[in-house]
This record gives sequence, structure tokens and C-alpha cells, in this order.
Amino acid sequence: MTLRDEFSAWMSANFCGEFEPLRGRATPGDEDAFPGLRLKWERKMGEAGWIGVGWPAEVGGHGATLDELVGFNEEYAKHGGPGRAGHIGETLFAPTVIAYGTKAQQDKYLPGIKAGTEFWCQGYSEPGAGSDLSNIKTKARLEGDQWIVDGQKIWTSLAMDSDYVFTIARAEVGSVGRHGLVFLLIKLNQKGVEIRPIKQMSGTAEFNEVYFTEAVCHKEDIIGGVGDGWKIAMALLGFERGASTLGQQMTFANEFEHIVALAKKNGAAQDPHIRQRIAKAYAGLKIMRMTALRTLEAAQAGEVSKEGYISKIFWATWHRDLGELAMDVMGADAEVLEGGEYGKLQKLFLFSRSDTIYAGTNQIQRNIISERALGMPKEPRGGGTVVSGHG
Amino acid sequence: MSYPFTDDHDMIRDAARGFLQAWYEGGKGPERIYQSGTAYDAAAWKSFAQELGMAGIAIDEDYGGAGLGQLGRIVVMEELGASLCAMPFLTTCGIVTDIIQTAGEPIAKNRFLKKIASGEIKAAYCDGHEARDKKVTHVAHAAEADLIVLSRRVEDGIDYFAIDKRAQGLVITPEKTLDPTRGFASVDWSQVTDNDLQTIGYGSEDRHEKLITQSFIALAAESIGGAQKCLDMTLEYAAQRVQFGRPIASFQAVKHRCADMFILIEAARSATYAAAIAPPVEKSEAALIAKAYATDAFFKVAGDAIQMHGGIGFTWEYPLHFFFKRARANRSMFGRSSRDYDRLADSIFGAHA
Repeated sequence: MTLRDEFSAWMSANFCGEFEPLRGRATPGDEDAFPGLRLKWERKMGEAGWIGVGWPAEVGGHGATLDELVGFNEEYAKHGGPGRAGHIGETLFAPTVIAYGTKAQQDKYLPGIKAGTEFWCQGYSEPGAGSDLSNIKTKARLEGDQWIVDGQKIWTSLAMDSDYVFTIARAEVGSVGRHGLVFLLIKLNQKGVEIRPIKQMSGTAEFNEVYFTEAVCHKEDIIGGVGDGWKIAMALLGFERGASTLGQQMTFANEFEHIVALAKKNGAAQDPHIRQRIAKAYAGLKIMRMTALRTLEAAQAGEVSKEGYISKIFWATWHRDLGELAMDVMGADAEVLEGGEYGKLQKLFLFSRSDTIYAGTNQIQRNIISERALGMPKEPRGGGTVVSGHG
Repeated sequence: MSYPFTDDHDMIRDAARGFLQAWYEGGKGPERIYQSGTAYDAAAWKSFAQELGMAGIAIDEDYGGAGLGQLGRIVVMEELGASLCAMPFLTTCGIVTDIIQTAGEPIAKNRFLKKIASGEIKAAYCDGHEARDKKVTHVAHAAEADLIVLSRRVEDGIDYFAIDKRAQGLVITPEKTLDPTRGFASVDWSQVTDNDLQTIGYGSEDRHEKLITQSFIALAAESIGGAQKCLDMTLEYAAQRVQFGRPIASFQAVKHRCADMFILIEAARSATYAAAIAPPVEKSEAALIAKAYATDAFFKVAGDAIQMHGGIGFTWEYPLHFFFKRARANRSMFGRSSRDYDRLADSIFGAHA
């Protein structure tokens, strides 16, 4: 029995009954749906060994091949599985700790992720370090056997539902840019950490501000050494272009099917212009899938492939367009709040405006593509002098 | 090598690229073809198809080909697109090869495939089953073809036959076209007697549709090659052109446009490579996506390349206009992309939504 078949059979037998309300839910823009039930679902996945299937066997994974991972993600979506609450830990943090962490760190952190009981979030951006990410101001100082952390993070996805944050902070006094940073692992449930949700235009709050006021973590709770923070943070982002995109694409495919079904039902499918846009959206889905396969195959062969650089801007733009298409398919109903609440497609439409901004804006993506994939000259750096826009 | 290609494909790519770059001395080819007044480079075909063995790339080894299938053909088409070399590869080694390999009776396979694989004969395909009076205009590569392969509607499907270019009564009239690097001609076989029709084979209407759609993949690959060349020329130009005291490649307006060109090209590659490796049930749909996306991308990228080159971009002397014209021609070669997307919508919604 292939891993795909085995997982499909397990989903049929287990994603039912009390979990039925989660079908197709908890996608971006809908992250506040059934919080308790989602955590229960994560534990269910974890107990059955379906978290970390892509990890190597030595750390408790299945060592799944690329084909198996594709199959796994496709089956999850086919069965209508909800947005995964633990994906940041499973597909971003875990590969990083497996690649760069110590054995002790792996033993400490992987079991909770694997069991579906511990959740992680990513603390990179700061109010003054958005597109210019290396302009980090959060400070970490070592006192005894503890790191003391002070500063503010922002746009931290899912922090409100997380147990830990991995974050970068400035550990060398007077250092600037990519130097002197440390990659810290901080428990969120402590008195030095305050989390404030940021309500988005979708009415929901996936993103948060995270304030550190003398927050602490053990001196061993860093990956790499002092000064390695930038390198580790970027390596982690490399995993973002990897297998985790497969699951996201399946969510997109479900959203697309939802829109097609609606267009059939309400007659929008008769509109030649809508038909063209639906067909183009479908083509985009197929393109994203193949781009992911090309990137992942190259990564498995230990190569860095240039096409991987298009992944973020392509999906973000595609998804934003899908949101606009969804509204146009709905027609006048797009404006009506059923039961006073934003519906699934309305949330998709509103949330997707953030897609082209977070995790590197479309403009930053074009800089990255032109500089790294095409070898064009780098953007000049301001050297710390702020030029006023008001003369 | 990179997925989904193998080392064999890389060797073919290197050989094709090496030959075409040397042959056309870094981009002088299109102008030379234009000056010659005929959109066919016989000497190039002789070396490329016959001596290098490129014509047999997608033909089974049993018939003297390399057996490298659609991926092998894609690799060659990309290089042809980058050079605009005027050769009837798309029709000979694409559509006609596929028709004979898929629908051909053994006798037709024996008669034609070895000769195609060795580069001995060149062929064009003419969709005769759509013609009312045995005359079709705008047939690609018909003027230089040794063999015209025609489709004909029969009671419950399509049959295919071939006409030798020397057949009595066959009239082939070259057309003057916007793109001077690919030949088109009208084909009139109304005066050809049945004795001169050589049977190839038979296929259902459905299989015919699949066959033709499959050949879209080769056109998509050619478009990728052309688009990549336009981007390469733009990057080279932007790196050496200095304005305001710096190379224009350092301006964000230029960088971002180049990034957008790259995104289109890589997305077109994904669409095209996916189509080449798609299983039979998904082939037609994937080929429609590849062709629609890649031909649109080529046209956009070629136009952007002209814009990024400034004044020299719209001169005759600089070869970009040949790519722009080819991009334009590819957009209508197998019908416009809006029709492809409409067909896709049919299959998404069911034909009578």
C-alpha cells in the first residue's frame, strides 16, 4: 500500500463525525474558525503519525519521498482537510532544527510538533524592519545562563495560538544589518511576552504584535551561534519555498473548486469573460504545481534552481486575482453579509490583499529575482541616513 | 540537468544550441533569411536534420530515431525558438511525425518514418478535413515540404494521406507574411488524382483532436526559447547601456520589468514541461494551457524587450523585431489563446454549462 493510499484510507475513517464542521475551513482569512476543534484535529493527526511525514526517519518521520509528499498533500485536500494549525512548526521550524539544531534541541522540540500539541510562530518583522528585514532592533543579552530579550515583533502569524516563537534579535551591541544577530527559541507563555492581535480588513486577526519585555530563554535555546542568526533565518525561509507550498496549493485548488461550483449555480459560468478568467486561474494552478515540482526536485538533488524565485510572487498574485474573481462570480451577492458575517469568499477576497505584502512584497520579490536569478546590480543601501520625503 | 530532463536531453540541448549559435553567428540569421527572400534555410536543415540527426529526436528507435519523445523535442524547439532558424522542424518532426507514429499503418510507418528521422524528407501538415474545396491557406512550411500530409473527413472519423510535392496537379503558393522567418503557403490539391494520395492511416475525430492539440506543446517550447532569447538580449543591453552615470540595469524600473519577464518565462516553462510529461488523460488539457500561456508570454516578453531597449529596440537593424513578429505569428498559428481558454472553460464547467 502506498503512503498516499494509506493516508487516504485514514482520512476517510477519521476525518468525519465531530470533525465534519472543519471541512474546507480555517484557510487564511478564516483562521478563527473552530479553534478548539482544530487543535483536537492536530492531535488526532499527530497520534496517528501523520505529522512530520517528510522528516527523516532518524528524527521520527517517514522520510517520505517527493512523490509521497505530493500524494499526502493532495489526499489531505481531496478529503477537505482544514488549514493546518501546526504548519509553521512542522514545515518551517522542524526542517531548520533538523538541519542546524543540536541533538538535544531536536529531542526537546520535535516531539511536541509531531504530537500536534505544540505550535510555533515566526518572529522576524519589526515596525522598522519590514522589507528591510536586517534592520532588526530587538536586543538579546546573555545574563548567566539566560538570554534576556527586549523589543517588538510585528506581523507574527498565528502567535495567539502558538506555544513558541523563533525569532532573530541583535546580540552584539553596535552591530548593524545582517551581522551580530542570534536565532532564539522563546516560550510565549511567560510574563515578559505580550501578544496583541492585529485586526485585518477581513475582520479576522491572523497577524499579531509580539512585545518582549525582559523575556527570557535558556542560553542553549539558540540555533547556531551569535552572529549566525541571519544565516539560520534565511535557511528557514528556504524551506518556505519547499514542500510546504504543496499543501498551500491544495487549499487554493479547493477554493478554486468552490468558485467554479458557485459560477455553475448562479449562472456566472455563462459569462464569456468570467469563463476566460476561470480558465486562466486553472492554468495558474497547474503552473504552480509544476513550478513546485521543479524546485523540489532540484532541492532533492542538492541544487538551487532559479525558477524557485518566482514561487512567492506567482502564488500571491494568483491568489489576489482569485479573490477578485470570486467577488465577480458572486455578483451583487458579493456585497451582502450572510447572517451579518463575512462569508468564505469575502474573507478570501479581503485577506488576499495581504498575500502580495507579507513574506516579501511583490516589489521585494522583483528585486530578489532581478538580483539573484538575473544577476542585475543590487539596490543601493541608504547607509543609515533617512532621507525625508517632505523636503 | 534539471527536472524533468535527463542527461540525454542536456546533450541534445548543448548540441542544438552549439550548432545554431555558430550557424547564425550570434543572431544574424533572421536578417540573412529575410534577405534570401525565402523562409527556408536549406543548408541549415541539411546540417541540423541530417548530419546532427535532430529530425529523428522524437521518432522511435525502431525507425532510426533517437526515441527521446516529447521532452527531447521540447529541448530542440526551445533552441530553434532562440535562433529563429528557418527550418520545417515544427511540422516535420512535430505534427507529421506524431500523426504517422500514432495513426499510421505499418506500411506508412516504414515508408516515411525512417526518411523523416534521417532528415531526407521534410513535411507539412494541412488540415484538409476542414476545407470545402480542397484548398487550404496559411499552411506552415508547405513551400519547402517534400510531403504534404492531409487530413480528410470520412464517415466516422478522419483519415490521413500524403501527397508527394511532385504530384501532378498539386499547387503550392508561398505567402508573404509578417514574420519572414517561417514559411507559409496555400495548398491546393483539387486537381490531384486519387492515385497520388498515399494512405497513412485512420483516426477517430477525438483522437485527431488529441493529436493536433499535442503538437501545441512544441509551439509552446519554441515560444519559450524565443522569449528567453529576448530576455537575454535585454539583460545584456541593460548591463552595458549607461545613462545618468550608471548602467540602466541598476534602475528599479528596468529590474522589475526584467523580473516580470522572467516570471512569465519560468511559468511558461512549468506549463510546457508539465504538458510534456502529462499522462494521456491529461495531455490535451495540459497542452492547451502550455500553448496559450507560452505564446501569450512570448508576445508580452518580446514587446517588453523592445521597450527596455529604448530607441534601438524598434529599429530594423536590431534583430528584436524578428522575435516580436515570430511571437505575433505564434499567437495565431493554432488559433488564439482566448479560444484555448474557452475550451478549457468548457472542460471545467462541462460543455453546456
